[in-house]
Amino acid sequence: MALIQTSSLRKTYGATVALDDVDLRVEAGSIYGLVGPNGAGKSTLIGILGGLRRASSGEVRVDVDRRRMAVMPDTPLFDPWLTAREVVDLARAMVDPVLSEEEVERSLALVGLADVAGRRVGGFSRGMLQRLGIAATIVARPELLVLDEPAAALDPLGRYEVLELVRRLSRQGTVLFSSHILADVQRVCDTVGVLREGRLLYQGPLEALLTERTRPAYLVRVRPPIEPVAEALASQAWARTVEDAGHGVLRVEVSSVPDAERGIAAVLARTDARLVSVEPEAADLESVFLELTT
Amino acid sequence: MNLWRLERLRLLRTPRWVALLASYLVFGVGMPLLTRYQQALFRNLGGEVRVIAPEPTPTRSIAAYLSNAMQVGLLVSVLVAAGSLAFDAKPELAAFLRTRSTSMWRLLLPKYATSAVAVAAAYLAGLATAWIGTVALIGSTPLATVPVGGGYGALYLGFAIAVLALAAGLARSVIGAGGIALAVLIAMPIVGQVLPWLEPWLPSTLVGAPTAIADGASAGSFLRAAGVTAVAVPTVLWAAVRLLARREV
Repeated sequence: MALIQTSSLRKTYGATVALDDVDLRVEAGSIYGLVGPNGAGKSTLIGILGGLRRASSGEVRVDVDRRRMAVMPDTPLFDPWLTAREVVDLARAMVDPVLSEEEVERSLALVGLADVAGRRVGGFSRGMLQRLGIAATIVARPELLVLDEPAAALDPLGRYEVLELVRRLSRQGTVLFSSHILADVQRVCDTVGVLREGRLLYQGPLEALLTERTRPAYLVRVRPPIEPVAEALASQAWARTVEDAGHGVLRVEVSSVPDAERGIAAVLARTDARLVSVEPEAADLESVFLELTT
Repeated sequence: MNLWRLERLRLLRTPRWVALLASYLVFGVGMPLLTRYQQALFRNLGGEVRVIAPEPTPTRSIAAYLSNAMQVGLLVSVLVAAGSLAFDAKPELAAFLRTRSTSMWRLLLPKYATSAVAVAAAYLAGLATAWIGTVALIGSTPLATVPVGGGYGALYLGFAIAVLALAAGLARSVIGAGGIALAVLIAMPIVGQVLPWLEPWLPSTLVGAPTAIADGASAGSFLRAAGVTAVAVPTVLWAAVRLLARREV
């Protein structure tokens, strides 16, 4: 069942087209990663879903009670004279006043801000504000979580923690988050949408995107000399290209995985190569993204 | 924590309440003193030029307070209240509030009411101080000047803050919203001068109510303006809600 569905969604600012014919579909229980370069339309799309902006045309359907949906902007900001606890408590009271105040402490603890709950947020770093934004977003246990670049301002450890948090949150609901950091999306998402210049270029399971869009390749590492091995591999019918990837590694792009699986070992044996390692090249979102968006 | 407490904290945890109170109390204390000793001050200036100051009267003292309070005090009030009402000035803050609020009324009402009450309280504190100073230094003046005349003045300030809320629906920035509101409030008495038949109905007429009552005018003579203002405040707020709800952040 789709929790979010848009059809022919279009948003223009004067002559500028921010979103063009976007058919977004976010299934209940999924972690949907919306990726795209800066200016692709990610924040505009999230703004429309969150009710902060209006579509110029098209339809938007969000099958969840408005109060059970939480939206976090890319750079959360709060009144500097409030304490962290007051910010989260205000979010709780606005969304669900009958909800226990213990939820405030739980949310602050989840994002690692329990120790500074009584501190005014005016002195918080960018990363702390980002965590506070997440705490204020999850305090009422939303069914649908929409996060705009939730880990953008964080250091590597902070990013890891936030992404793990996102993964955990997805167990209690659906998560849609945007990012231009592809490794983040690949780490936690099961579904991905690729947006460029306002158009949704791809949408579907991450796994399918990676396997459909990448050509199978193997990384063969041998001791020098590598040239005879490269020549022998290149002469095989199943080898499309053979490149020297440096450090004694040959990247062999193949047309048939079964033939390559049988043939690589035979070629290495024939050439008397001193083998260090052979492994299939892992498909990564970055290369697929570049292929789609350039 | 709720939106009402948020607005109270905005006033109390920042220098806003000090600025608000000071901008009225300074004139509440200063104007009766200045009115009482103006002649002596000018006499002691010396030199060739002779300055003739008017006789100090209770009416002049109250009028001096109102004149300054409704200029400097109103300017400070509008800027202080704009810090709360122009909440779209910072889109990230606006997103926090807007995505969690189920209606714009729910969001706007605490902001409007808290600002209006704080501004009216500061104005009345200044007026009461001016009245006490006037009675002590110059002479007796009707007690109704403060509760009745001040009530009319406070009603006008409530209208001024409602106009500011509407201005916040037209301009996002604090300065922009404040500028529009001040322009409307300044234009209103000018309209009253150009169209004298309209003046008794205009909210801006209420500004002079304490002086007029101190001078013996009937409190009932301001009922028309008070009636229009009482109707205008919710109408202007309704328009503000409409504009703010339609705005994209």
